[in-house]
Parts: sequence; structure tokens; C-alpha cells
Amino acid sequence: MPPKRTREHLSRQVNDPSSSTFAPELLAKRARNHLDELERSNHSELTSIDVDDDEDEASAVKYTKGRARQTLISDKRNLKLAGSSPAATKKKSTMNIRGALLYRKNLATWVDESGIASFPSSVPSYLTAATPPSKYPSRLLCTVCGYWGWYKCRKCAMPYCDLNCEGIHLETRCERRVV
Amino acid sequence: MKNIIAILDNGAGSIKTGAVTPSSPQHEPARLVPNAIIRSKGDKTTYFGHEIARCKDYSSLHYRLPFEKGYVVDWDAEKAIWDGVFSEQVLGVNTTESSLVLTEPYFNLPNIQDVYDQFVFEEYEFLSYHRCTPASLISHGKLLEAHGLPPPECMLIVDSGFSFTHVVPILNGSIVWSAVRRLDVGGKLLTNHLKELISFRQWNMMDETYIMNDVKEACCYVSTDLKKDMETVRYGSKSGAMNPIVQRYVLPDMSTNRKGRILRPEDMVLDSEQVLVMGNERFSVPEILFRPDDIGLNQSGLASTIAISISCLPEDLQPMFWENIGLIGGNTKFPGFQERLLSELQSLAPMNSEVVLYKSDDPITEAYKSAEIFAAKPDFPSHCVTRSEYLESGSNASRRKFRDWKVQAEKAHVNHAVERTRDEHSRSQPIIRPRGRPRGSTSRGQGR
Repeated sequence: MPPKRTREHLSRQVNDPSSSTFAPELLAKRARNHLDELERSNHSELTSIDVDDDEDEASAVKYTKGRARQTLISDKRNLKLAGSSPAATKKKSTMNIRGALLYRKNLATWVDESGIASFPSSVPSYLTAATPPSKYPSRLLCTVCGYWGWYKCRKCAMPYCDLNCEGIHLETRCERRVV
Repeated sequence: MKNIIAILDNGAGSIKTGAVTPSSPQHEPARLVPNAIIRSKGDKTTYFGHEIARCKDYSSLHYRLPFEKGYVVDWDAEKAIWDGVFSEQVLGVNTTESSLVLTEPYFNLPNIQDVYDQFVFEEYEFLSYHRCTPASLISHGKLLEAHGLPPPECMLIVDSGFSFTHVVPILNGSIVWSAVRRLDVGGKLLTNHLKELISFRQWNMMDETYIMNDVKEACCYVSTDLKKDMETVRYGSKSGAMNPIVQRYVLPDMSTNRKGRILRPEDMVLDSEQVLVMGNERFSVPEILFRPDDIGLNQSGLASTIAISISCLPEDLQPMFWENIGLIGGNTKFPGFQERLLSELQSLAPMNSEVVLYKSDDPITEAYKSAEIFAAKPDFPSHCVTRSEYLESGSNASRRKFRDWKVQAEKAHVNHAVERTRDEHSRSQPIIRPRGRPRGSTSRGQGR
């Protein structure tokens, strides 16, 4: 009797070590990075963009050791306001105002300082008010053309819809999105 | 005595503002001021808020927003914009002789609220002011008034704006904070998503926020039948005519000062003009409001959020909330928004309640118009905090008067603060505070 042909060469892709399935943490991290990018408006205080072009030398360093701003953009306006308030008359503002103007904190810092994380759970606050996750399974859209994404890329798990889009995806966007 | 009341609906995308005198309430239309400092590379100038009307070159505008994720963090920028609003170029009010109605985001942080108070009373020196959320103004307005009946006691406001979307139930004029829900999808996210899609598929528009915002508002719509629209845009209609969904948008031309427009079939396209083809982006971008998991955001869609919010309310009142849902905010202006939301809600509502949606003619200025009506009411001064009250007791005066989410937290807050001051006393003695590094307590100047 001829020797039985082994089935090793017909092993399924599942057991193939070269096709690694993606850990959900990596996918979640990639989604989070993408969402953070979407939330961004194109401004960063560390660049010299909000200073006029002819003041390049003054804009080199905007942060001192105490993280205070050196130039305030609101001081540069020449406006006429009626009345006698500090805003109108260029009088010196109070300590509170100057503190608020000079030190920029981002939202995470404000949330920490407000102490709402330590409220008891019965109190609604910014942190508790987000909607819960969806009950329905998510549907995937092709990242190349926007149609339904029925297939997923083997290397980076991004969905695509057909062979054309798969080709475009592998040439341009694949592997770069792997975190 | 003529007392001018300035109204500032301080939104993250735009400020809706105007000044009214309660004695002669002519309802002047709101002025829309973009709440950003915009730098134009073409013009090489920086525009603060309202000055953007002078801008000639709309390409590659760089935005500096005082808001981050819906809350004011950059007070320098906000002051610059507010200076412009109160100056003679926009409102021309004498702030030391006027009152103010100001809106704040939902669940505004207490330390940020203190800074609002400081700016109003210490910098602009208003006589009095009232600070509240946009939804609480709607109960004074006309949105849910049907045929001369007074506004209902139970209403649900969906406020979908620039930074996020909130579902706010209102009972007898005050917000039920434990049932308020937030969906982190707003106009900014939709515009950025559209920028990404177009940049990947056609022209690189990652810097062109202003232009893509126009494209989004002109071309995008909410589809009621997503599957059918997806098939139509891909394979065309059966009769072989031109694809009914695909639109071509001609980008604005800076050299000839032509504004962007949608290409109609009989229009001619010059060679120098660039054309965007809008296919499934037209409806897949607003779809994110209803299915945030399309982009990986792990939150429920808008209809589910409304159902969850109503389920947190007392059971016997729930049918009344289903019947009084009001829509405000710029995102509700998408064509097809109301129909799609109605059809999704009808499948989620209980069997014996009907779902009624109220949409105003201009969702962006709806809160402003309600604020005008509120400011004209005779008992308006009793809702305001006056400057003398503030100078006497600091931000505690506004904490007492403006009822918001902290009403429930007050007891917990007091206990927490007592513990904290005890810790601070024991800790702060040996520490020498370094110069130039204020602790969080500088914003709480008085009263603490």
C-alpha cells in the first residue's frame, strides 16, 4: 500500500504561525489614536504660528520654567470698548484674571483639579455622563472606498470591500497603521 | 433706567450674540461670531472672531480655538474674542452698565465656572449676569410651543453642536441631571473625518478646515435607508440615468474669488477649477451621529442614547418625554436628520407612546432667541447674580443662585472640601510654594 499522504501541507490558515491574529488591545489603541487625531484642531501653542511674521525672534520660546505664557494674544488688540472696566481701559487686571490668562491648562488638568473624580457615584458629572457602549455589533466600512467592508486585511485587520480596494490598501495604507 | 442686557450664547463653534433692552424688545437677529482666532497664510493676518468677514483668502486657514472638547481652556484666546464682541465693532455695549446672559456647556467644571465669574465681574465689570446651559433657556422659548399652548412640563432637548451632542431632559423648567447623556460626536469631528476621507481618496484637504466645513454643510445629508443608498451610489440607478446621489463640488478659487459651489448638470467647469466627487461620503459622515462605532468610537448612537436617557426618568412620565423632543444645535440642520431620527426612535419607543420631534427654523440661534424671551421677562433680575453679591461672597454667590448639576453634589462637596482643607493645613506648613507655579487654587481667588 502506498504510504498515506500526510496532511501537513494542507494545514489550515488558523494554525499557520505567519498569520497572527490581532490582539484586541492593539486594535483599541489604534482606534483611540485615530479618535484623538479627529478631535484635534490644528493648533499647538509650542509653535510660533500665532505671532505675526515679523516677530520671529520673539516667538522662539513661549514657555518659561513656570509654564507661563510670555506674550498674550489678547493684549495685542486695539479695540474701543465703552465703559471703565479693566478690559476697556487697559487698567491692570486682577490677580485671578492674570493667572487665568497666563497659565494655560489643558482639559485633563482642569478635570483633575476640579475634583469631580472624587464625587460619590450617585452624583452625575462630566465623567459619568457619557453614553454607554452600543448594544449592536459594529459594522465595518471599507477604508478605501467607503462601501461595506466584508473582508479584513490579513496583516493589519483593516476592512476592505473587494480586490481593487485590497490592492490599493496594501500599497498605501497597510502596515503603517499598525501600532 | 435703560438697562441693556447683552446675550452671549458662547458656543465652541460660534458665538451667537446680541443686545436687548427689556423695555422695548425688538427682536433683532443674532450676530454669529466664529469663536476662534484664525490665521490666514494667504493674507498673512490674524483674525479674531468676527473679523473673519474681512478675510479674502480662505485656503489653509489655521484655527486657534479657546475650547477643547467642549470646555473653555484657553482664556487668553477667549478674552481676545470677547473683547472684540463687546467692542464697538460688534455689540458696542458699555459692560459696566449692562447685564449679561451667558451660556456654558453641560456639566461645566466648577473651577472653570469660577473663571467665568471672574471674567464677567472682575474684567468686564458687568452689573449682573445669569449663566446657564442652552437647554435650560429653551423652556422659556417657543420651540415646543404648539398652537398657543404653554410649553410642556416634560421635554427632552437634543443639543448637537460643534464639540459633542447632549440629550437633556427637562422637568418643570429644570434639568434632570442624572438622566443627561453625552455623545462625543460633534461638528468638529464630522468635519475632520470628512477631511481625512477626502484627503485619502482625492485631494489633500487636511489643512482646509474652512472649505471642508462648507462642503460638509452643502453636500452632506442623513440617509434614511443606508443600505439602499450604499448600493445606489456604487452601482448607479437601474434606469441608467446619472447617479442621483453623487454630487460634484467645485472648490473655491482664490485667485478669482469664486466661492465653492455644487456643480449642477448644466454648469461648465473651467480647467483651472478643482472638483471634488462626493459619493458615499455624503451620507456616511453624518451617519456617525447615529452609529459612532463606524469610526471605532465605543458609544451608542443618538437614538439609543435618547432611549437610555428616558429610561432613567420616572416611569409614569416617560410617555410625555417621548412626545416632546426638541432639536437644537447646528448638526440638526443636515437634511434628513429629523426623518431618520424619527424612524429610529419609533422602533425604540414603547408601544403606546407616540414620538413627536420639534425642530426650529434655525437650530443654531434657537437658544439665543429663547434667551431674548427670558431676558425680557419681568422676573429675570431675580435669576441674576449682581456684582455686589459677587464682591461680597465670591463664586459662592453664583453657586447658590445658578442651579446646575452641583446641586446634588453640594453636600458631598462640602464634606470633601472639609477633609481636603484639613489635609492641606497639615501638609502645607513646611512646603515653600515655588514662584511662578500657581496651584489650582488661584482660580478660586475669593471665597476660599
